[in-house]
Amino acid sequence: MRYQRLGLDLVSHLLLAAGCGLFFLPVWLAFTASTHSMSDLYTHIAPLWIGDVGLGNYAQLLSESVSGLNTGMLRLLFNSLVMATGIAAGKIVISVLAAYAIVFFRFPLRRLCFWLIFITLMLPVEVRILPTYEVVANLHMLDSYSGLILPLIASATATFLLRQFYLTIPPELVEAARIDGAGPWRFLKDILLPLSKTNLAALFVIMFIYGWNQYLWPLLVTTDASYMTVVVSLKRMLTTGDALVPWQDVTATAILAMGPPILVILLLQRYFVKGLVDAEK
Amino acid sequence: MATLQLTRLKKRYPNGFIALHEVDLSVAEGELIVIVGPSGCGKSTLLRTLAGLESISDGELTINGRRVNEMEPAERDIAMVFQNYALYPHMSVAGNMGYALKNRGVPKDEIRHRVAATAELLGLGELLERRPRQLSGGQRQRVAMGRAIVREPQVFLFDEPLSNLDAKLRVQMRLEIRRLQKRLGVTSVYVTHDQVEAMTLADRLVVMNGGRVEQCGTPMALYAQPATRFVASFLGSPAMNFLPVTTHQGCVVLPNGTQLALPVDIPEGRAATLGVRPEHLVEATSTQDAGVTLDVTVEMLEPLGADMLAYTRLPGLEEWLVVRLDGAHAASEGQRLSLAFSPTHCHVFDADGMRAMTERAGAKERAVQ
Repeated sequence: MRYQRLGLDLVSHLLLAAGCGLFFLPVWLAFTASTHSMSDLYTHIAPLWIGDVGLGNYAQLLSESVSGLNTGMLRLLFNSLVMATGIAAGKIVISVLAAYAIVFFRFPLRRLCFWLIFITLMLPVEVRILPTYEVVANLHMLDSYSGLILPLIASATATFLLRQFYLTIPPELVEAARIDGAGPWRFLKDILLPLSKTNLAALFVIMFIYGWNQYLWPLLVTTDASYMTVVVSLKRMLTTGDALVPWQDVTATAILAMGPPILVILLLQRYFVKGLVDAEK
Repeated sequence: MATLQLTRLKKRYPNGFIALHEVDLSVAEGELIVIVGPSGCGKSTLLRTLAGLESISDGELTINGRRVNEMEPAERDIAMVFQNYALYPHMSVAGNMGYALKNRGVPKDEIRHRVAATAELLGLGELLERRPRQLSGGQRQRVAMGRAIVREPQVFLFDEPLSNLDAKLRVQMRLEIRRLQKRLGVTSVYVTHDQVEAMTLADRLVVMNGGRVEQCGTPMALYAQPATRFVASFLGSPAMNFLPVTTHQGCVVLPNGTQLALPVDIPEGRAATLGVRPEHLVEATSTQDAGVTLDVTVEMLEPLGADMLAYTRLPGLEEWLVVRLDGAHAASEGQRLSLAFSPTHCHVFDADGMRAMTERAGAKERAVQ
């Protein structure tokens, strides 16, 4: 339902604008802080406007190795990107196949399989972190991308969401495809994946951000700084012992770390917004 | 072009439910067979076993003499039109129509050529780039037909293809299906619950009930000589009237005591059912035999334009007696009518619902079970 009332429109827009401003404020503060010199930050109160260093801190951060880490910022960002992409893509591949099997194939213990997957929702990484670490260590995957990615791939959430979507596919469509000579792989490739395009885009965004924001697991599994992720490095920068915290670097890193997730959202939003606006069925 | 042979075809579900009891049927080349019956009678199951979407529990199914029991749907060289069309929503009309050909590895040029030709045949030429959701119900229906036609299959299977269309479009598409089927000459099996559709489309009609074939024959043969009470009541609208009768000295005795000499094959004194269609009941005139009249009271009238249906009550009888009167008839509710009918229009069924008349050879013929 839509109300056409000028006063109501005005109020709701003002509210929206205020909400946006409120959420944007910390980001803005981080950005202004990243444009000041360290001495400025420690002698003045939190600056609300861009400082005289401008983007100098960024240039320095990207060109030199991060203090105390022996690794460049670009490397950290790259590591995060690899991990987040790997987790998102891996989760989607596994979930698509798992949901496909559960919904479209009749095999013994099918329901049991589904519920087994489902109860893993109750076992996030933090709960099973010791055994998982043990397994990864035994497989010699510490300090490697596979060690960062694989343990986080299995996803009950995505499997569950895709299963719910697959269940809405009319059985006649499956039968029509069978009569048209599409085998299981072809059905998946030609019918199911194109139909779930928007769901997959939304899932990818969610999972990418989930992967990008991982902290505890990458912290445990990487000791070599060349496999460290940007989120972990942020925390590192804050623990400087007796030295002053380089807030201008921390805030600049935070701003940089926000970039890739935003980029992913911008790139994929047209798919999932389209999916929300006009249903393809 | 193919023949289809079902021999003692049986379908039992894992839970023990028997959906098809040994169905026998042979379909000749180019024939359009319509399977009709109430919901749950097994007609859709039968079609789906023909398609290969349901496995066959027992018996044999051959297409062109080739046993296809264990074959995948795609290998049987059949095409099916679904009730809800089952078009691929993300593909264009051309994509939908060409998908089966693509899966078979037909060269792209040939696919385009064949899709275009079929689209022309169905009047879809302008719509090839559209998506299914941009089409009207009738157009989707045509695309579903096109998808079946473009493959040039041995057999067409139709699963209530018109039931999602509005009444006007349904009549139009019915004619179109008939025209296309005759023109292409492809053997077809058509399932419907709509008896008008069944009567108008069928070369031969198969009436099913409870997983069995009740009767099989041309629509008019089934209409004129229903082999069972079920077939008699299922075909024709409004349905045939049934009167409980008994037999006495070679005659049937009507509820009002009138005796009617009919060549029935029922032992003396047994209960039976006499069936008369609404259009065969006429208002008695003085010139007619006084012997076969029924005095009834009109309880309700349904004017249909050309006809007027009168729901009348015979004293001592529970059920309505429906009479098809002329549309301009001046009957009013509560009026008494004297109805007459000819013995040649009577159908007598025994207590088991089987036709029990001896007058014509073959009248007792019931589809082999």
